[in-house]
Amino acid sequence: MYSLHLSPEQLQIRDTVRDFVAREIKPLALAPQRLEASARPTLAEALEKASQIGLRTLALSEEAGGAGADNLTCCIVTEELAAGDPDVAAVLAQTSMLAHALFDGLMTHEQRSRFLPAFLADHRHHLALAEHEPDRDTALGINYHRPQPNEARFATVAVRSGDAWIINGRKDRVIGISQAALFAVRASLGDNGAGTLLVSRDTPGLTVTPPEANAQWHHGACGALVLQDCRVPAENCLAGDAALFCHAGGGIPQDAAFNLGIGRAAYEAALDYAQLRVQGGRRIIEHQAIGAKLAEIAVRLEVARAAIWQAAWASDHPDAVAERSLPDLPLSTIASVFAAEAIYRAVKDAAECFGAMGVMRDMPMHKYVHDARVCLHSGAGASEAKLRIAEALARYRRPAAPAAVLAAE
Amino acid sequence: MDFTLSNEQRAWQMTARKFAEEEVRPISLERDEIEDPRATFDWEIIKKGSKLGFRTMAVPKEWGGHGTDFVTQALVMAELAKGDSAISKTFSQCWKWSHLIAATCSEEQKRRFLKPFLEDDTFLLGKGISEPSAGSDNRLPPEDPKAGLKLKAERHGEEWILNGEKCFIANASVGKLFFIDARSDPNAPLRQGTTMFLVPRDTPGLRIGKVFNKSGWRFYQNGEMIFENARVPHANVVGAVDGSDMKTHAAGDRTGGDLFGDLELAANALGVCDDACAIALALARTKTQAGRALFEQQLVQLKLNRMHLLTEALRAFVMRVAWEHDRKLHSANAGLCMNFSTEVIQEVTELNLDLHTGGVPDRRAEKLVRDAIIWSHLAGDSVQRMKATRRLGK
Repeated sequence: MYSLHLSPEQLQIRDTVRDFVAREIKPLALAPQRLEASARPTLAEALEKASQIGLRTLALSEEAGGAGADNLTCCIVTEELAAGDPDVAAVLAQTSMLAHALFDGLMTHEQRSRFLPAFLADHRHHLALAEHEPDRDTALGINYHRPQPNEARFATVAVRSGDAWIINGRKDRVIGISQAALFAVRASLGDNGAGTLLVSRDTPGLTVTPPEANAQWHHGACGALVLQDCRVPAENCLAGDAALFCHAGGGIPQDAAFNLGIGRAAYEAALDYAQLRVQGGRRIIEHQAIGAKLAEIAVRLEVARAAIWQAAWASDHPDAVAERSLPDLPLSTIASVFAAEAIYRAVKDAAECFGAMGVMRDMPMHKYVHDARVCLHSGAGASEAKLRIAEALARYRRPAAPAAVLAAE
Repeated sequence: MDFTLSNEQRAWQMTARKFAEEEVRPISLERDEIEDPRATFDWEIIKKGSKLGFRTMAVPKEWGGHGTDFVTQALVMAELAKGDSAISKTFSQCWKWSHLIAATCSEEQKRRFLKPFLEDDTFLLGKGISEPSAGSDNRLPPEDPKAGLKLKAERHGEEWILNGEKCFIANASVGKLFFIDARSDPNAPLRQGTTMFLVPRDTPGLRIGKVFNKSGWRFYQNGEMIFENARVPHANVVGAVDGSDMKTHAAGDRTGGDLFGDLELAANALGVCDDACAIALALARTKTQAGRALFEQQLVQLKLNRMHLLTEALRAFVMRVAWEHDRKLHSANAGLCMNFSTEVIQEVTELNLDLHTGGVPDRRAEKLVRDAIIWSHLAGDSVQRMKATRRLGK
């Protein structure tokens, strides 16, 4: 049944997180050194406090010790957190999402008993996905609607040696690099395609590079990993289908919710300012030009939220597609593309309301513009996402590439 | 219609292109990335450019300048902006007020101020209008005398005493002479109660506050000017007391004061767009995906198409406005062209950045987008658009 009511729990979580952000995160996020686009200091203390109210383990099942929140709730929380600080939001969203994927799904009972207690015991214990590699290109642009594989083989290689895997390679854009205690490292496993290995931070051969200046092009205080003859026990290889890690578009629109939070921060700042600033003898919101601009910003944010919530709800209710309540489309990718373009425009408009103060580095608006720009341009970008949607519209199914072909590349 | 450039125009363009490529571009990113907004400035590039005439080219020949026409000025601004938008603006900021001096200053004032300006390679000009509580109200002044700039000017015999504060003032930290708008009659509306003063940097009671830390245009210095009983001789009043509006009003479209400013932003945007187009085209030809040039992809071609289409449309508009200025034709085109340049520079630089998506972030592509964002405020906000529209209504 179609319903837009949030449950009492969802409303309560949203209010709690909103209040937490206002009290604990916003004051830190608006400190001058965090307004700079590059090298923002990590908010370790805020992350710890967020964990204490359950946000690190939000999606983890109740049975495993988490809150067992559904995808819609996770998106609502991510929006609230990102409206306070994108790095905090990205780190928490990643840990919470990975905790659910790993402990509730991909891990064996044995793996879970080895890793879960440490994760639950320490509020500073975060999880990180090490997937992206420098220069790795999906090549979807050139291979659109063609049978060539659209995921390049990982250059990071794990080789089996007795009762261990030896991993060699480089990973970048690892979110929350400074906080992560356990990495899920994606690698090529011999000729058998890709797999995922669990690598603890203290594993010999693992070098962690903290966020650098150009980390400003990716949210979540990203850094790099170098794995040099990094040896992990054979039991650290995930047996389960790692498809969960592939961003195939049917997933959870967390990145779009995150983007929405950035847009909302800019919108709220502009709305406040437009009711204070007087020019032309009136508060500027009373001028048609600014009033209509704020209206357009609100339109973009509301429509983006509707798309995000629909996609999140669809991922919580897979049967909704089968019963024809929702179209069989990559709704999450659709929400992300719309949000990225609409919110960048909205944030630029919000900054314009501030005049010259909209471009100053010691003021928040320039940060929101930068953060929204990163959402639009980081990763593979909106063009590639549109090609993925287009292939889905045509019901195009790329044939699975045989392992031998991959190995020959 | 004849779009042919004269030999003189072509020569200026070529000199500017060479200077931009050999001197400006090599320091552009490095200056941009300096954290301290006061330290981004570089006197060497100013001196080099000044020796080539880029500081004084708008001063009339009879006063010892180069007396270039608006078409030449537009060409040079665009060429310099290809190297660095903010450095181009630092030079053209001087032309903006050379136009004003030539059109509105007395012979005596020209002798006192134009001569040292011409002789000194480090003599930069600026103008102070904006104040913390007066931005849009200066651009489109309401009738209420309380609206608009507040810097107070009171006459004491042959001196004026100035008190108040200006912000975002161009070249504030590096300029030697400023045109300062101050309220000489607090009971009259802005246009009827404001006097313009020539204020040298070493005026007693004037100090420079902070330099604003902008996300783009970092070489270009925007600073605070604080007036605490600053004493300015009556001989430094530009035009008539309570008549600062003469640059746009009494002088019509002749002076290029505000109107040059419109052309200036549009021509500067054009140079940035040329740079973005060249970078994007080179990237599309050289970067490969699965062994094939990006250029082969339809979406890449469509983006390049859009970038070039907008840039060429802007070029046609900029050159037309410059040509109309040279013929002293009245129109709203300068303002419309400036408004249009906002959409163009932002879309073109963003498309260039988009083409770089997925790889290592390209510092220059990112810088161009940051430089372009200032157009939202300077050239394309709703007040600047309504201001241009009101010229249509006149």
